[in-house]
Amino acid sequence: MRTGLGEDVYEVFARKNRGEPLRHIGYIDAPGDELARVYAWKTYDEENWFEMCVVPRGAVIPVNRVEGPWAGNVPEGTHGP
Amino acid sequence: MGWERAGGDSRAMTPAPLARHILSLADTKRLLGIRYSDWLLGSPSIETGIAASSMSQDEWGHARLLYAMLKRLGFDPFEVEHERPAARYYSAPALDRPFSDWAHFVAAVVVVDGALSVALESFASGNFALARSRVPKMLAEEAYHRRFGTAWFTRLAAAGGEGAARLRDSAGAMLPTTLAWLLPADDAHDALVADGNVWPEDRVRDQCSRLLGGTLATAGIDLDAVEPARDGWDPERRRGSGAPGEEAVERARGDRNRDLFVE
Repeated sequence: MRTGLGEDVYEVFARKNRGEPLRHIGYIDAPGDELARVYAWKTYDEENWFEMCVVPRGAVIPVNRVEGPWAGNVPEGTHGP
Repeated sequence: MGWERAGGDSRAMTPAPLARHILSLADTKRLLGIRYSDWLLGSPSIETGIAASSMSQDEWGHARLLYAMLKRLGFDPFEVEHERPAARYYSAPALDRPFSDWAHFVAAVVVVDGALSVALESFASGNFALARSRVPKMLAEEAYHRRFGTAWFTRLAAAGGEGAARLRDSAGAMLPTTLAWLLPADDAHDALVADGNVWPEDRVRDQCSRLLGGTLATAGIDLDAVEPARDGWDPERRRGSGAPGEEAVERARGDRNRDLFVE
């Protein structure tokens, strides 16, 4: 899933403490995985995160809803939940 | 301790080798922070500007910690941070002027910030206790600067054309003086090495090659073939001739906020 600048959109997940669930905290645009890691860490640096991960938006497959930012990732031939 | 007047000349005040080393690291970080801050707006994307902002603040935070170390060596941190003229700054010559374009910025992240990382790694593993305790946190933050620099450098180099040429030219222009800054060939630096405060030259060069060599090679630069440029070497400031621009030093000193200082 690319932006107008040819960058990819990455969803950002993080948790403050070990054992907590990862929480979706936002998204960033980046031209590759390595810069996505840096941009996410530098953009969402308001907390002392225990763990942060980025996921390309194109890798998120919706399960029960077919609209929203991940609508384009619905597997072909699938129509709704 | 602190400033020592050399030969009765009131204008020449020479810090001891350890203090000179810390001043050189701190001033380079302060100037690098200013040069990064010039690109908070106008960088290629919002995220890149945010990263530049964060890196700029990292550099200023690190500079603050380094200046504070000088208090233990008999210096007045306020005087060091806020009173020196440009001609008494110890920063790496590659930062004397603003970055001319984005390729120049990226080259500086790899060359100057990379050299700083090597210098700090060396300092953190030496015998100076404050460096051993305080520098590792800086190195953890520097790791993100290196990732940023490596990713952008290899991207621009791979794209070819004008951007790759400017990247190669900027990195090539900064490397000789930055290597000289990183590897001073004088008695004061030899004393630091002898006291176990920093690594000897061959280890520094090895680590430079390991951390920066592969990235620079993507633009056709052979780091091992670059010789340090020590023309006009100033042993007091641990750098070649010249000085950072007055406008940058006014910002570094905080001249416009002078009436608001509370320290």
